[in-house]
Amino acid sequence: MASIARSLRPAATRLIASSRANTLLWRPSSFGSRAFSASPAVFAKKYTKDHEWVELSEDKKTATIGISDYAAHALGDVVYVELPTAPLEVGVGDSIGAVESVKSASDINSPITCTITSVNSLLEETPGTINKGPEDDSSAGGWVAKVEVGEVGIQDLDNLMDAAAYKKFTEE
Amino acid sequence: MSPSRGASLLFSHSRILTPAPNIHKWQLRFQSSLHQIPNAETQIYLSRSQSPYLNLSIEHHLLTKSPAESTILFLYTNSPSIIIGRNQNPWVECNLSLLRSSPLKPDLVRRRSGGGTVWHDEGNMNYSVICPTSKFDRDIHAQMVVRALRRLAVDGVWVNERHDIVMGSSVAAKPWKVSGSAYKLTRLRSVHHGTCLLNSPNLKDIGKFLRSPGKPYIKARGVDSVSSPIANVEVQNADFEDAVVKEFQQMYGHVDPVLVGEEEGDVPEIMKGLKELKSRDWIYGQTPQFHFSYPTHPSSEAFEEVGPTVSENLTPFNLSFIARNAAINSACLSQRPTSTQRTSSLGNVKVHEIEDWSQYVLPSRDGTLVDAKSRTTEEHETFVKDLNRIFGVALVG
Repeated sequence: MASIARSLRPAATRLIASSRANTLLWRPSSFGSRAFSASPAVFAKKYTKDHEWVELSEDKKTATIGISDYAAHALGDVVYVELPTAPLEVGVGDSIGAVESVKSASDINSPITCTITSVNSLLEETPGTINKGPEDDSSAGGWVAKVEVGEVGIQDLDNLMDAAAYKKFTEE
Repeated sequence: MSPSRGASLLFSHSRILTPAPNIHKWQLRFQSSLHQIPNAETQIYLSRSQSPYLNLSIEHHLLTKSPAESTILFLYTNSPSIIIGRNQNPWVECNLSLLRSSPLKPDLVRRRSGGGTVWHDEGNMNYSVICPTSKFDRDIHAQMVVRALRRLAVDGVWVNERHDIVMGSSVAAKPWKVSGSAYKLTRLRSVHHGTCLLNSPNLKDIGKFLRSPGKPYIKARGVDSVSSPIANVEVQNADFEDAVVKEFQQMYGHVDPVLVGEEEGDVPEIMKGLKELKSRDWIYGQTPQFHFSYPTHPSSEAFEEVGPTVSENLTPFNLSFIARNAAINSACLSQRPTSTQRTSSLGNVKVHEIEDWSQYVLPSRDGTLVDAKSRTTEEHETFVKDLNRIFGVALVG
């Protein structure tokens, strides 16, 4: 699964990528263990209030976008997914697709400014994939789009929640 | 509920709906209420237009342009129309040639919300509640309508597990559906709208409009309708309008209803929405990808309901294609017994732009299609006739 793959990434890369790291992570007592067990999602995976996630790649040039586990659960059984035609330049909040579930048409919005380079066609054939693994970015997963990210997109990430903040947000 | 109580609601509280007919008309004609949607937290609009395209466009305008925290009730009645869901296939959902030939002249409309196909006419009223997505709930406003119906002494109605309002007695085998729900969720705002069959004179005909000759031949992505037995609740439109307004006011506070209508079509955003909703690119072009296959595949699960007709069993012609945004690609036309591939001119043609299939599945130019047997011409005619019937381009009696 994606979470396992992430935990195998070299710690050094994450340290470079974490200029805004949570100070807790730098406590000497926990540094060693965290470097190998904590998910770098803390740095790279962000969530919107609209329940989309975006995960930046190591090189900070590309990212994957999807809807959150919470959203997939709240939507109920997804019966149709509409995806955009790549390439497509979008800004924050622009619609990048739509899902239908339980008589509801819901927009999927872009969490950041980016250019969509490919979409997950699997969702068009088997829409239920998005319920099974909405945060799974593997080839069999329910991710929505792969994107290219520029400077503006990187800045947009600052306005989003990390996993812990998002969890708190959904529990409110 | 007496009719006079309905009238008192409309004429005693509302500033816009003053009893003086001249002022009323003047306001309706020259001043759209929706150029600038007010900031009020609670708003009520009643449409006096019966255009399904305009009413849905006003609703969409209210959804996209109203203040983020406001809650809005919008009630409207449409002239006869078939309203398909956002992600549905018109060739699967309705009988297009019957739509054209019926004296009722129903409009075909693709709405922006999800769900299945419904029938609207002047005996059906639609309610719509727009509220923040954070407060979205699939049942809360269906329950509001149930309470409105109970106000009107319609008993034995409840919201079922499909979020529809049904009517029946506890001993009845299967309750009747009287109201269907659909939803559209955007980033900040959501709309729940629903039908309510009050006194439709067309109940017995609705099934005919919703039975498609194309269904057995089409395997479509998107959303299938679930058909249900339907009934009228037998109340008058004005009484229902009054009762729903009262229940809404009880939930969100007393505000006066504002009348809207044809003049709202002048609001630029509504005009734009209206143009899109009426366009064939929206109605047909937004159809999710589908696969067409002639004759039907009796073996396929999707085609179990209706087997191939006799003429198809004999037909030497096979046609299949995939249509994405209603544009045909991967068309394959062949003829038995040799399974000779025939050239068709269907590539990139939009299904809804075909007025006569004979133009597109003609014998190829070298005439090879008519060389096998003398009856081929007749079979080709049957084939073309079938295609025209399936896609609803030929009028039926």
